[in-house]
Amino acid sequence: MAALVVGAVAYTANVVPIWEGIREYFADSSAPMDFVLYSNYERQVDALLAGHVDVAWNTNLAYLRTVGLTGGTCRALAQRDTDVTFKTVLVAREGSGLHGLESVRGQRLALGSKDSGQARILPIKFLADAGISLDDVRPVIFDSDVGKHGDTGRSELDALQAVLGDEADVAALGITTWQQLKQAGELGVEEVWTSPDYCHCNFTALASLDDDRAEAWTSHLLAMDWDVPEHRRILELEGLTRWVRPQLEGYRSLEEAMREQAIPLTW
Amino acid sequence: MTTAGPDQVRSARRAQLSIRLVDVVGRLAAGTTTLVPVESPAEVEVVDTWCRGTGNSVLAVHPDAVEVYRGRLSDLDSILPPDRMPGRRLWLYTNFHCNLACDYCCVSSSPKADPRVLGVDSVAALVTEAGEAGATELFLTGGEPLMHPAIAEVVAICTTAAPTVMLTNAMLFRGARLRALDSMPREALTLQVSLDSATPDLHDRHRGAGTWARAVEGIRTAREMGFTVRIAMTVASRAGGEEVEVERFAATLGIRPGQLVVRHIAKEGEATQGIVLTRATLVPEVCATADGIWWHPVGATDEAMRVSADLLPLRPTIEAIREEYLGYRRRGDVLAASFPCA
Ligand code: SF4
Repeated sequence: MAALVVGAVAYTANVVPIWEGIREYFADSSAPMDFVLYSNYERQVDALLAGHVDVAWNTNLAYLRTVGLTGGTCRALAQRDTDVTFKTVLVAREGSGLHGLESVRGQRLALGSKDSGQARILPIKFLADAGISLDDVRPVIFDSDVGKHGDTGRSELDALQAVLGDEADVAALGITTWQQLKQAGELGVEEVWTSPDYCHCNFTALASLDDDRAEAWTSHLLAMDWDVPEHRRILELEGLTRWVRPQLEGYRSLEEAMREQAIPLTW
Repeated sequence: MTTAGPDQVRSARRAQLSIRLVDVVGRLAAGTTTLVPVESPAEVEVVDTWCRGTGNSVLAVHPDAVEVYRGRLSDLDSILPPDRMPGRRLWLYTNFHCNLACDYCCVSSSPKADPRVLGVDSVAALVTEAGEAGATELFLTGGEPLMHPAIAEVVAICTTAAPTVMLTNAMLFRGARLRALDSMPREALTLQVSLDSATPDLHDRHRGAGTWARAVEGIRTAREMGFTVRIAMTVASRAGGEEVEVERFAATLGIRPGQLVVRHIAKEGEATQGIVLTRATLVPEVCATADGIWWHPVGATDEAMRVSADLLPLRPTIEAIREEYLGYRRRGDVLAASFPCA
């Protein structure tokens, strides 16, 4: 069988060992694969639509843009377990007295890159849902990793740094960045509010991908096992414990946010 | 204006460290390292805690920085096969004096060497502790072990505890020493006899005129007494292919195929040439002498190879050896070579 070609964005150096490891894992299977790396999600979505790759490892924003550009015919094949319980956390200096969304009103709010679901688009939506518009806060914007859809966490770290440097009162972070930061111990920073779960990345394919090929590839992917050391090395680098079937309802909040904030499908 | 209390200063600094770690280590390619500056032991602790929680590792702690490795470092179990784990074998230098004075002797033994006899009580204590720490094979060497005043007792202690190999030049199988040999068990004991060539020439050149013939005679005697014998060749190079001839010759003495150990001459002791060995380049094999615990029997008089001046307790020394060796392997500066002595 011809190798299925998967596209991924090289947002860190570890994307190479991750995908080499996954390719090796698939080498002996009935669904061998290869991968192609892109420098940003925009290029990758274009490549998927042009048929250069069969599957794209997309962020939530890249997936929804693909949904929009294909008239909803594209499909998701799989996600990380960590993708289906993604959250945004608003944090502030300990002792700030800020608790809950309403307390953010009037505060200096540090937000990440304009194409980051977790650090910009969704925080704005969650606030709006609570009746707090951008005019009701004083936004401090960090567009530090545009094109990577927030995947480098760079803009989130900048936002937190702004809080620590007293240039902002509240910062919006993705749950994975926040969990990593907390591993160092007590930071003098506390959670103000945590969002409901939403979905992050998924493997996106066009409708034209043969069902059997898609299923053979997906089921082999899902068989990766945390208890097998070679698999664990890759899973750990990619930030998951197991691959799961897509849970598309988790994209609804971002889909609404993109509509409400008039975020274009192409750019 | 409010002044920050010490707790706040600490957590503010921890927050900066944490941001730096997430940023710098997060971007680091797997398998590479970076230096994270730290200002206190408490900060080293923070970096270590963070690494444990995020699947990364502390490779080394320097005076003002922690060297962080992206990913999990391998442990000794994944580096060494179980039978090579330091501590699985225990070497005991029973004594340092010897009836020979070979020109390549790695511990400079000779009839004039200070005997530095390892007492029977020490042997018993070491063997017991080694057993508790997981030792499954014991090796007696020297000098010539048969010159130990109570070698039969030493062998009895060892063979009761684990299969034992006694290295010997097989040239002292006479009188009281022959009787001592005869009292030793045939089952749990293997005699490893030095024989460098299939004909006298090369062997005698290093070990002294007439030594080849007497070693061969000793091998015959040991075989007739019912001992399992294997041969150890010490060579300057394997290029000559001498081992094939030695193996063939050994078969004529009733030695089973595969019972041949080939060792390179190491630049230790009397040897002025030979491969250079250091702790970083040598898979350790825990070795006890009257003077302490050593990294490997090949360097049992090389001060740089001494791990502890105390024989006991043995277990912490074994742990220290494992830890140090793991450090070398993780650093990956040098690939450690194993140096078989048996
Ligand atoms: S090599 Fe062996 S036989 Fe030769 S002097 Fe050293 S201990 Fe004695």
